[in-house]
Amino acid sequence: MKRSYVPVALLLVVLMLNIICTQYMVHQYFYENYTNTIIAAVINVILFPVAFVIYKKGVNVND
Amino acid sequence: MTDKNNKIPFNEDNYTHNINRNNERKLDRRGFMKTLVGAAGVFAISSLPWGALAAKELTGLGDKKYPKQKITEEKSLAIGDAVDFAFPGEHDSAILIRLSEKKYVAYQNACTHLRCPVFWKKDEGEMLCPCHHGKFDVNTGEPIAGPPRRPLPEIYVKVENGAVYAVGVKRYEA
Ligand code: FES
Repeated sequence: MKRSYVPVALLLVVLMLNIICTQYMVHQYFYENYTNTIIAAVINVILFPVAFVIYKKGVNVND
Repeated sequence: MTDKNNKIPFNEDNYTHNINRNNERKLDRRGFMKTLVGAAGVFAISSLPWGALAAKELTGLGDKKYPKQKITEEKSLAIGDAVDFAFPGEHDSAILIRLSEKKYVAYQNACTHLRCPVFWKKDEGEMLCPCHHGKFDVNTGEPIAGPPRRPLPEIYVKVENGAVYAVGVKRYEA
């Protein structure tokens, strides 16, 4: 049973993007750049299904 | 495990066959990925209020609306002069100053120190609070001297058909 750690790495990338977007979002909110806030929030929301898909693929193939 | 069910007796010499604690706290690859997906979910959910607040700001729902109110005729206010009025409530005294042909500024004129009325000093070009000699910049409302530390709340004005109207109050940020 060979495992792939590629999905794990991808998920870690997603988590990193989440952190970056969240911080950017909060800062842009207080800088009153509300459009940027919304863009960052949307990216953050989209990252969740992405993470879920990565998880599904990764689990089915190799475990 | 399932193949052990329904076989009586179990082929084991103890009665705790169904208690297996050895790997209870092991975080395997799958569990780790689940945690990461869960974290992504938490991030997504926690973004929603920020997005909503930002959308609210963009659509201007947060701004209070006041009916626009006529302050004075353009003709009756010479350049460099000021007139007192009340906006948005009848007890919120305010001052309108005509800085040039086109430029009007208006502030709520209760001093941000202890609420004395602020006056327009035409010859010095600044707004003065006589109580403790606080001074404010006429272009921005920022305090420039004396005890006040916060700017005067600005009132938005609009010129229409030769009359000056107060249309709103700038959102206050201390
Ligand atoms: S009340 Fe205006 S300076 Fe004190």
